[in-house]
Amino acid sequence: MENNVLRARVDELAARVNGQVEEALGELVLTVNSPYVVETLAAAKNFQGVPCDFLHDLAGLDLGDRFEVVYQLTSLRGPQRLRVKARVARDNPVIDSVVKLWAGADWLEREAYDMFGIVFKGHPNLKRIYMWDDFEGYPLRKDFVPPTYEERATMRVRKEGE
Amino acid sequence: MDALNQLPLSIAAAIRGLFGDPHSIWADLAMDIIAFILVLLIIVAAALILILLERKVAGWTSQRPGPNRLGPRGWFQTIADALKLMGKEDVTPAQADKWVFKIAPMFILGLPVMTLGVIPYGKGLVPVDLDLGIFYFLGISAVSTVAFLMAGWGSNSKYALLGGMRAVAQMISYEIPLIFALLGVVMITQTFRLSAIVDAQKTLPFIVVQPLAFLIYFIAGIAEVNRAPFDLVEADQEIVAGPFTEYTGLRWGLFFLGEYGNMFAVSAIAVTMFLGGWQGPLLPGWMWFFLKTGILIFVMMWVRWTFPRMRIDHLMHFAWKVLLPLALLNIVLTGLGIYIYQLLVPGIGG
Amino acid sequence: MTIERTEEISLNMGPQHPSMHGVFRMIVHLEGEVVTKIEPKIGYLHRGLEKIAESRTYAQFIPYTDRLDYLASPHNNLAYVQTVEKLLGIQVPERAEYLRVIFAELARIASHQVMIGSLALDMAGWTAWGYCFRDRERILDLYEMTAGGRLTVNYMRIGGVSHEPPPEFWPALNSFLDDLPAMIEEYYGIFYGNEIAQARMKGIGILTKEMAENYSVTGCALRASGVQYDVRKAAPYGIYDRFDFDIPVLYGCDTYDRALIRLLEMRESLKILRQAVRDIPEGPVMAKVPKLIKPPAGEVYHRVENPKGELGFYIVSDGSNKPARVRIRPGAFVNMQVFPPISVGLKIQDVIAIFASFDAVLGEVDK
Repeated sequence: MENNVLRARVDELAARVNGQVEEALGELVLTVNSPYVVETLAAAKNFQGVPCDFLHDLAGLDLGDRFEVVYQLTSLRGPQRLRVKARVARDNPVIDSVVKLWAGADWLEREAYDMFGIVFKGHPNLKRIYMWDDFEGYPLRKDFVPPTYEERATMRVRKEGE
Repeated sequence: MDALNQLPLSIAAAIRGLFGDPHSIWADLAMDIIAFILVLLIIVAAALILILLERKVAGWTSQRPGPNRLGPRGWFQTIADALKLMGKEDVTPAQADKWVFKIAPMFILGLPVMTLGVIPYGKGLVPVDLDLGIFYFLGISAVSTVAFLMAGWGSNSKYALLGGMRAVAQMISYEIPLIFALLGVVMITQTFRLSAIVDAQKTLPFIVVQPLAFLIYFIAGIAEVNRAPFDLVEADQEIVAGPFTEYTGLRWGLFFLGEYGNMFAVSAIAVTMFLGGWQGPLLPGWMWFFLKTGILIFVMMWVRWTFPRMRIDHLMHFAWKVLLPLALLNIVLTGLGIYIYQLLVPGIGG
Repeated sequence: MTIERTEEISLNMGPQHPSMHGVFRMIVHLEGEVVTKIEPKIGYLHRGLEKIAESRTYAQFIPYTDRLDYLASPHNNLAYVQTVEKLLGIQVPERAEYLRVIFAELARIASHQVMIGSLALDMAGWTAWGYCFRDRERILDLYEMTAGGRLTVNYMRIGGVSHEPPPEFWPALNSFLDDLPAMIEEYYGIFYGNEIAQARMKGIGILTKEMAENYSVTGCALRASGVQYDVRKAAPYGIYDRFDFDIPVLYGCDTYDRALIRLLEMRESLKILRQAVRDIPEGPVMAKVPKLIKPPAGEVYHRVENPKGELGFYIVSDGSNKPARVRIRPGAFVNMQVFPPISVGLKIQDVIAIFASFDAVLGEVDK
């Protein structure tokens, strides 16, 4: 019952934002292009009757030819679940930040930036979170080559007082 | 048992007899030096035993055996610890205030030694029988606050500074209820001299007439010594080790000795002022003294390993808004009690 | 005398620090004893598990999941293998499901014991810590009996569990369950009932319901703020829908409630364990799974109620025997975001207590 309502809402939203809807192992997946992501998520958060208002996860994904930012939405008020995937171009990975919608997206977006290099526009503090601040490279990209032993030995070592 | 009681006095008399004039200045000097050495020995022995006892008590409260590898049932643990500390490198932080940093441990150990000099350990066994006894003790323990601040400031470390500032706030606040609690006893005995106070408890230890004062004194005493639940000064979990963070090796060991010396001094004063000092049936005086002090120290350790730590504002609130009014109330009640006693029992007064 | 000026100190707490629950580092800006700002800096335990997963087969990655929340390692195993099983569409035998529940709930109890003990330790309640860890040893003995490891058990497999527990497992488990109510009473008496501990925890670190939802807080912290939500009831996984247990909820939103709710959850875990031991059927402990695990191309997201929060796994498969992407959504990582805002204006000792009440394990936070 609720699933049908949710499906209806998602289909309607997809029509508005030029997205594609599919079902993967019992879950609804809505794929949109990156300019529409804030509109999509704000609309999903305020779905009539089945609001998907809890941001469960925000992850980056490297599909070879493009990046994707995957948002897992659930709700504390019902069983509704939705996965929103936003396509991001690989050569210029910029997407709007959703920190205004959920404050919990803060560190998750920082992690996606740190691991993939996806820049979240409008994020208050987009710095690396796992790797050290002047690390070069984005580890989870498919084309990331870890530094060799020789390179690591000559990596910049922080000197006293720096 | 009177023979054992008299034993130290006979030894003292014998030593005085070695000199031409038993009361010459040289004899006095010799006795003073011997007394000083004995007090030092007491502190060192107390610290050695107490350090191990602390770890054993810690184990017993958590249902563990405590250290039990070195020596019979672990009793050589402290010696091993001391040897280990002596072997450590002596590190002074680069930007530390060298003199302040190095002198602080000496103060922290020296002050308890000074306070232990006026306590009656047994019948006639007072190293220095000052007629300002308790007043002197309180004055010296007030100075120990400065020592903590020296350690905190001299280390040039934020953790140490935080610890030092907490020490000053805490120790100054808790000294006031401590002093007022002792004032009750002084009002009854009309003297500061510690041996006279012990003699005044021939029939009845003062804890019976001043129970509130004893409680306040004991709690404030635990706070003065920086033991849990009042150990914010050296709070492990927050400011690593407070003023002691940057100390290593034997210097740090001196702090430890100082803390246990302080514990011993506070308990000894409690025994002297409230529990009848060295008096007791059957056993010789000095044995009773150490027994009573030992029991109080055990209670301090028990409390440490059971209770969590208080927060700084709760601590200050407790000192100023709970203990101090109670101590003042105690003084009022004591005053009333003395007045009524003087009315009822004619001839007592003065 | 006028005060010239006061200066704010910035104190660096950790990564080596007695109460940083691992290698957490935070820079605390203090005005005297009052905190004005906290900047957490994590990543000291980052081992790149998500990258490693892309070069391991599905079965080879299971021991790595142990090291996420190492205090409740069977639970992490459970999350991962259930995600892969969803992708493959494998049905796990009944006995294995019950064994999984038993181990998961034991992990929950052990993890909560560590949390209570560590919270007490951070407030210098050494004895409470000693009691919690002493009792946890019995759970670790149960693990060792069955799976060989005390901390990182690596017990679950894709399609079931790895070993049948030995015969001495069941009497040991039953005797532990008999003693657990007394243990819970003891923890309450020595820690929660203590006036000093209560003064240090009540009213500290208020996390309102709205703030919790906005910051995506999950797990015990959410339930201590008045939201009755537990994945085991909301979206049951495995056979959790067969058990009869309650979800404890508290409305105080403070550190005391976050700590107390874990004690209440231990009681509920006891109920589940008793039912599981009573109802466990005979049978195989492992399903027939192909030797080479090659899920069809697709993606799946699965979450479980870890003791620290909700642990989510998002696996993208490209049809080969190694995953294309394994995304680990750590409960503790997301929960920690709310820790700086709620600590502002409190004392440094409160900050330690609040951090302990969120029960973050850096293995999970840093992956």
